[in-house]
Amino acid sequence: MSDTTLDRPAGVPPASGRRRLWDALDERLGLKGLQYPIPAHANTLAYSLGGLSLLSFVLLVATGIFLTQYYNPDPAAAHASVRRIITGVTGGDFIRAFHYWASMAMIVLVGLHLLRVFVSASFKRPREGNWVIGVALAAITAGLFFTGSVLKWDQESLEALEHNIEVGKLLGRFGFWFSDTFGGIALLTRLYVVHISVLPALFTLAVVAHLLLVKRHGMAPSPFRRDTAKDSGPEPTRPFTRHLAELGALGLVLVGVLTLLAALLPPGHGPAPIEGIEVTKPPWPLLWVYPVEDWLGLSGILWATLAIFAALLLVPLVDRSPERHPRRRLAVMIGAGLVVVAIIGLIIFAAIQPVVSHIEM
Amino acid sequence: MIRRSRAQQLGLLGGLVGAFLAAAAVTAPALADEGEEAVPARTQVQTAVAILRTQPEQLELAADRINDATEADDKDGVDIDRVEQAKKTLEAGDMAKTELLLEQALGGCPGEPIANPTKIRATRPQQPCPTPAHELALGRVPLGGAAKPALVAIGAVLVVGGLVLTRSIR
Repeated sequence: MSDTTLDRPAGVPPASGRRRLWDALDERLGLKGLQYPIPAHANTLAYSLGGLSLLSFVLLVATGIFLTQYYNPDPAAAHASVRRIITGVTGGDFIRAFHYWASMAMIVLVGLHLLRVFVSASFKRPREGNWVIGVALAAITAGLFFTGSVLKWDQESLEALEHNIEVGKLLGRFGFWFSDTFGGIALLTRLYVVHISVLPALFTLAVVAHLLLVKRHGMAPSPFRRDTAKDSGPEPTRPFTRHLAELGALGLVLVGVLTLLAALLPPGHGPAPIEGIEVTKPPWPLLWVYPVEDWLGLSGILWATLAIFAALLLVPLVDRSPERHPRRRLAVMIGAGLVVVAIIGLIIFAAIQPVVSHIEM
Repeated sequence: MIRRSRAQQLGLLGGLVGAFLAAAAVTAPALADEGEEAVPARTQVQTAVAILRTQPEQLELAADRINDATEADDKDGVDIDRVEQAKKTLEAGDMAKTELLLEQALGGCPGEPIANPTKIRATRPQQPCPTPAHELALGRVPLGGAAKPALVAIGAVLVVGGLVLTRSIR
């Protein structure tokens, strides 16, 4: 007879195997610590966008590890190695397609998460610091997308890299890293290192800080809770483990959608690149800077990108009122709406305009 | 001072516009071609290859670039005989062979990146050309057999299962 049975009070039924396993794991790993209460409104899709972004990142790391086994970052061999992944590696076409669609999902989810935090004013005191970390995460995501789009090393990739080199020159001595001669190693190879190690490491560190601050400050209140509900007392809570369970279920939906997209719509791979000419346009998440470059020249790319991230960083300083409902923050909502509409408009405009050569041959 | 009627003024204006348009029409082709000889043949051939690879419907544009390459002042680093051959194969409608000849005219391996080695990429290794990447790509193996339906089924099950779970958890 075990000690557990001896300790059990009379009349209490023996614990099930599942319960005993949970208790054993909790004793060693402190899992019950995750059952802390969070507001009920957190169990919605809008408040799961951040978690889904993180899941996309995990999926990208997993598929990326597979791709690194076959990818060759030497500029003379990179294009052929991608073709080999597509045509000659078992499951390579599917994994590459999954990686591509997961990156698209991450861009969209991070953008929507950012918008949700902005609209619900979740960045307001005392969460300004976490907003800044979130903007840094968005910037790292953009960096991951850009470097990833260069690695496939087709004509579009080379043209993106040539723009990158030219923008690096605009940075003067601070742009030395983007020079094609720095370090004696091809820029493509160095971008590969950044894509698979530097940026993911920075992303992981920033995410840990982001999540710790969410835990520290708690989930931000929802401005959309009806006044009648507010009058009836504090918002009901749910254990965080329930939020994790819902996130897991939504994660299954995400993985399913990505599987369908990867199987049915694998991304193309352009022709081997030719240096010194410009005959393609960037992928859609970067397309909004294309017309800006038409109007302002190469420096337009740099200034437009800096302006967007500077504006995001300034949000907590500009919108400092205690009001959280969008209707009571009309000025900032209209301003942000105009920026979003302008970006979407620029993407559509760039998609229909003919290819323009920006770099001097 | 002679005062012209409104009709005369309009006629004069129309005449001037007509004369300008006529002059522009006559000189435009000459202006368009002006300075093309100054572009190095290598750049013209590189552009022609890129057009063939990325915009195969723009055959005339590629033909112009090939023609300009043969007439360029600076033919350094280009095998013009092969460019001439490429011109004929393009006229015959054989785009694949045209692209191949143009790549060889630049000293490149078929399907490989074409670059000035001193810039972004390392020097091309001095060894026989490998199997052309674009030829490998022609044999792109789509998910065949049971793989594609199986993946689609797995994806659909995950989507439906996830949605059902989400609903039950709420």
